[in-house]
Amino acid sequence: MTFTQAKRYYVERRVVERMTATGSDSFEDYFGRLRSDVYGEIEHFVNAFTVNETYFYREEHQLACLSSDLLPARLQMKPPGEPIRIWSVPCSTGEEPYSIAIWLLENWPLVDQHDIEIVGSDIDTNAVSAARAGMYVKRAFMRLPPYLLEKYFEPEQDDAWKIIDDLRQSVHFTTANIVDRTQTNAHGRFDVIFCRNVLIYFDETSRRRAAENLYENLFPGGFICLGHTESMSRISPLFDVARFADAIVYQRPPE
Amino acid sequence: MPLVRKPPGPPPTTAPASDLAAMLQLLAGGSDEERWSAARAAADVPDSVAALGEALARETSTRVRQAIFTSLARIATPQSVDVVRGYLRSDDAHARTDACDALIAMGEAAWPYLGTLLRDHDADVRALACGLVRNMPSEVAVPLFCELLNLEPDANVCAAAIDALAEIGGPEALPVLERCHERFRATPFLAFAITIAADRIRAQSASPRA
Repeated sequence: MTFTQAKRYYVERRVVERMTATGSDSFEDYFGRLRSDVYGEIEHFVNAFTVNETYFYREEHQLACLSSDLLPARLQMKPPGEPIRIWSVPCSTGEEPYSIAIWLLENWPLVDQHDIEIVGSDIDTNAVSAARAGMYVKRAFMRLPPYLLEKYFEPEQDDAWKIIDDLRQSVHFTTANIVDRTQTNAHGRFDVIFCRNVLIYFDETSRRRAAENLYENLFPGGFICLGHTESMSRISPLFDVARFADAIVYQRPPE
Repeated sequence: MPLVRKPPGPPPTTAPASDLAAMLQLLAGGSDEERWSAARAAADVPDSVAALGEALARETSTRVRQAIFTSLARIATPQSVDVVRGYLRSDDAHARTDACDALIAMGEAAWPYLGTLLRDHDADVRALACGLVRNMPSEVAVPLFCELLNLEPDANVCAAAIDALAEIGGPEALPVLERCHERFRATPFLAFAITIAADRIRAQSASPRA
């Protein structure tokens, strides 16, 4: 990554964010942590510069894991006929929950045999509004095969594309702060939660609160997918590590 | 399209207790699920520290213990620090780890107690305290480690402090490390650790800062 002088403020803001996140009181203090890679700080630092770069089919291996392992495992535990509930939180402007929907329609052979409810939530109301609108520019499609763009999106003005109505109405969007138990509880329990690249930005206490909230939001035996640089084991021992061919995820222990 | 759009389903069964008395009752004698939920809800009631402490002492469920530690960490008062730091002496390794995690999560609320823990009569507690001090700002932590290393008789505690200094120490730690090296010349692993830490500090001091 290269940042010119024009990006100085952008860089400075993210360095300050990382200093706050690590409890560093001075740049020297933080720089020492970064150089020593304390708690994987180098990865966190790099992530801080890419966190807003969300797009369709990001971390596709987790979507593959969803259809090949997570949903089959959940079906074995669920009473027949119960809907499968999937939560994308935070969902930013909707790329992730729509990706989940597209992936399942394209790759899960049992998709027609089950009711699947996908919920996307974010603390940012502007992001939620954008997600509901379902309008995206070219950059969001860098990982999406062109035939899927043609199939699930309609071209709009100014090089923008809009999600087709059928798909747009298949994802329910809400506002939620994952540290607020009242808000998370209101969403009910899920079979799979995608909670990627957010816990790393919380302080220790908020991370623990969020982990306990998400635990409550999972059915026993349900799964949670974190970002590839994140580890629930560093946050909370409540979850079991579940290793699959395509991804390592975390599971609320079955009862 | 087979995907369905529905409003979110019913809330989980772990609805928080509605009042303090009911919460304390559940914390003391509810099911696993009720105790977990009550322990979590107790974080919003600072007066619940004593009840959380009593519950923690008798709690057998790992999950509920976790929730109690998290609530004590969220409350983060001198009283809750007192409850948690008592578990640094526990015979149960999980409880000691949980206590350390909770004290780290408490942040500044726990800092006033860490100097005392570094002078504890129990070497195991002093070693754990090194892990806690490491999370303080370096300008506070480094002098504490230097003070410890000047007097500490236990090689393992010294090792914990040296390990931390290797990451956060500056040139001011070098004479302290040298004196420690002299004292523990007959303890090869410590001499090795000191050499590594000192080299690292020198290298970091010599490299240009951004």
